[in-house]
Amino acid sequence: MLSNPLALIAEITHRCPLHCVYCSNPLELASAKSELSTHDWLRVFAEAATLGVLHVHLTGGEPLARTDLTDLTAAAHGAGLYTNLITSGIGLSRERLERLVDAGLDHIQLSFQDSGEMHANWIAGTKSHAHKVEVASWIKEHRIAFTANLVVHRQNLDHLEEMICFLEGLQPDRIEIAHTQYYGWALKNRAALMPIRPQVHNAVRIVSSAAARLKGKIRIDSVIADYYARFPKACMGGWGRQLMLIDPAGRALPCHAAGVIPGLSFDNVRERSLEWIWRESDAFQKFRGESWMPEPCRSCDRRTEDFGGCRCQAFLLTADATTTDPACSLAPAHPVIDKALREVPIETASGSPTEWVYRANPK
Amino acid sequence: MAGPQDSSKPKLAAGCRWGGTEAARVVLFPEGAIRMQGTGQRVLELCDGERTFAEVVAQLQQEYSSADATVIRADASRFLEQLQEKRIVDF
Ligand code: SF4
Ligand code: SF4
Repeated sequence: MLSNPLALIAEITHRCPLHCVYCSNPLELASAKSELSTHDWLRVFAEAATLGVLHVHLTGGEPLARTDLTDLTAAAHGAGLYTNLITSGIGLSRERLERLVDAGLDHIQLSFQDSGEMHANWIAGTKSHAHKVEVASWIKEHRIAFTANLVVHRQNLDHLEEMICFLEGLQPDRIEIAHTQYYGWALKNRAALMPIRPQVHNAVRIVSSAAARLKGKIRIDSVIADYYARFPKACMGGWGRQLMLIDPAGRALPCHAAGVIPGLSFDNVRERSLEWIWRESDAFQKFRGESWMPEPCRSCDRRTEDFGGCRCQAFLLTADATTTDPACSLAPAHPVIDKALREVPIETASGSPTEWVYRANPK
Repeated sequence: MAGPQDSSKPKLAAGCRWGGTEAARVVLFPEGAIRMQGTGQRVLELCDGERTFAEVVAQLQQEYSSADATVIRADASRFLEQLQEKRIVDF
């Protein structure tokens, strides 16, 4: 039997004042003109709650770019959803935060690019770090959950310990250390962002010792460097299994990168109910369950844990979305990962001028 | 890290709260939800930030008088410790 989705990822806008080189959003973004109205979102939240969704993650782009964010938060909260804001903090004032908390915000996830201001701004392509630090202090004035998020890569991994100490100082309840994922904009910058093996190994050691040291105070979560792992990530907890993403223009996607896969058509919440989309939409059914799986996944014991990995990564690296995620060491296409890693220059050159392309964002 | 002290006053951590329906209660937290039932649910309901852990245990021992009192204490302590590691409970 098909279970209901547990979380709704509400990408309320693709507008964003930052230009992070590691951005995981797709290359093609929705314009402000095409965005769903406040009214549409209110209906989506109500439908989601009826469908059994428990969490809504308000994200983007930068969700603060929408002036109706407080109304959206209040509506999600009013529908009974646990409300999480995923933000860079740019666009937040102390007063606006207070209004969001009053509207029922439960959790805020604030992203950081680095511990040092210069380096952080260099990665974000924007002067944003100092403001984020201030935002963190405002968050601590409220009784909401606070996660500090840090995306790591070749250019900042050499001072991971320093970055963790910095984040600790902000007193979050949780720290998320996420290796860069290469299926959106970040793929363009892979050569500059891909860590070398010793960096990845050190990171594992540093993160686990920080987790032990901070146990009971700050919880540390991490997202693996899948190019270096033996097995892939359980992308989205399995396709069409737990999560539903609505993009700014109202398209319902099983994952935020799914738009790259040719031949998938996405239904729009302007035309269809969430329930219909969850049950009937082609895109959600395409890789749901196990019947689409090729070997070696089909007869592999891990298929109920990682679901064969990421479909978008499979497509981006092999031009075939139905193949085992190349990040898996058992995948026939795994040599493409080895090849990419062989091309990573050995000298880490952290912080030195690098060839990369800053995220371009819609207005 | 150990379980709560007798004098500590456990409570749901910031941003963690009850949800679900009367029949299927859950505790919601940033990464997910835990279905609560039976003794676990009762322990957490008693952890209101007012009662001390000793009072929570005394209350449970009274309500579950047929169970071994030391087992009740040990179970409640371990349960809260695990939730604290997940940052769902503070004490
Ligand atoms: S540019 Fe940075 S802040 Fe903006 S959406 Fe991308 S990763 Fe997030
Ligand atoms: S073969 Fe498929 S199911 Fe098995 S570990 Fe690799 S990706 Fe997962």
